Amino acid sequence: MCVGLSAKVVSVKDDVAIVDASGARRKVSAALLSDLEPGDFVMVHAGTAIAKITDDDEDETGALLDLL
Amino acid sequence: MNQTIERAKEILTRYDGPHCRIMEVCGTHTHEIFRQGIRRILPRQIELISGPGCPVCVTPVGYIDEAIWLALEKGATVCTFGDLVRVPGTEASLQTARGEGAAVKVVYTPLDAERYAAEHPDEEVVFLSVGFETTTPSACLAVRKAQQDGIRNFSLLTANKTMPGAYEAMKDSTDLFLYPGHVHAITGTGICEKLAEEGVSGVCAGFTASELLTALAVAVTRYQEGKPFFVNCYPRVVRPDGSPKAQSLVAAMMEPCDEEWRGIGIIPDSGMKLKESCQMYDARTRFQVPEMAGRANPACRCGQVLKGELLPTQCRVFGKACTPEHPVGACMVSSEGACSAWYLYGQNL
Repeated sequence: MCVGLSAKVVSVKDDVAIVDASGARRKVSAALLSDLEPGDFVMVHAGTAIAKITDDDEDETGALLDLL
Repeated sequence: MNQTIERAKEILTRYDGPHCRIMEVCGTHTHEIFRQGIRRILPRQIELISGPGCPVCVTPVGYIDEAIWLALEKGATVCTFGDLVRVPGTEASLQTARGEGAAVKVVYTPLDAERYAAEHPDEEVVFLSVGFETTTPSACLAVRKAQQDGIRNFSLLTANKTMPGAYEAMKDSTDLFLYPGHVHAITGTGICEKLAEEGVSGVCAGFTASELLTALAVAVTRYQEGKPFFVNCYPRVVRPDGSPKAQSLVAAMMEPCDEEWRGIGIIPDSGMKLKESCQMYDARTRFQVPEMAGRANPACRCGQVLKGELLPTQCRVFGKACTPEHPVGACMVSSEGACSAWYLYGQNL
């Protein structure tokens, strides 16, 4: 139940978004996010998009190691 | 293999600093660290211990008894996340209660339970609202939707929990926390920074191999420096102020309460319950649920596992009487439970 899923926003209408997670599409609540647009990436948790995210973890993990 | 993973791996495998106990607060971290083989590359000085961050695992036995009572005595349709169905109560699980006629439906989100209630006005629908800061906003969205739709046959059986009290309760059991990334996507990082000021260190971590290895590499490097620290190693998801929208939604509908954590006991103000203005959606009020203490199987050591005091393999029933097919304790049932992770991956250590 507690697993987050990153997904790409396909469409948004009112407080509902259709997202694509590795090819699987599903309807999720977008009520917690403002200004969501098709093409954005989101973290989905229990059927609700909880945060806008970037799609790639490489840049930021590299930058964190550069600081050490 | 990418360059970041190689760099982080090198830092970890070459670590020769002081012994460092790192508590994986989040059950998904426990599973991902196992699944990705990260435990196998760590030197002896880096010890990973399980923590209380699997919501199903910390849900007390009495809560399962309450859910079964609602289904069997009140005829309610119980909607739940799948993980809870096989968690043992005092005498039965929701799965075995099905055999006695309990209506138990698995849903993906609380909003699905609200929709089911709207489509079945002749049924009383109770959603089993467990989870941390990450899941609680979805439960509040479902209640708000019920209010907007004029749905009156929907309620929550709350056992929602918040992490700060657990951090306080666990801080002496570990050298530093691997903070749960998605909890802090909602709450922000203020509590982690405050704990660092009080001498409790930690890093916020994501879930990919690159994110986990980087978070662990940053954690042990900073630990070696000897000063308390907090580093957000998951900034693509976790922002300092978290999700103000989720915070204000929950604050409008719920309020803190004392809450029981399996194996830990009652932690003051570590739970969330519906406010009086939302009480018609509170299953305990609506059905006058009697108090149920609940009794765990005395052989089960989930409580000590959740506090990082015991490895799952040190429990007498692990892998014998307690397996994923026939779980004795919640940590073996949940897909995020520490015992389940050790059962699935531990033999490869």
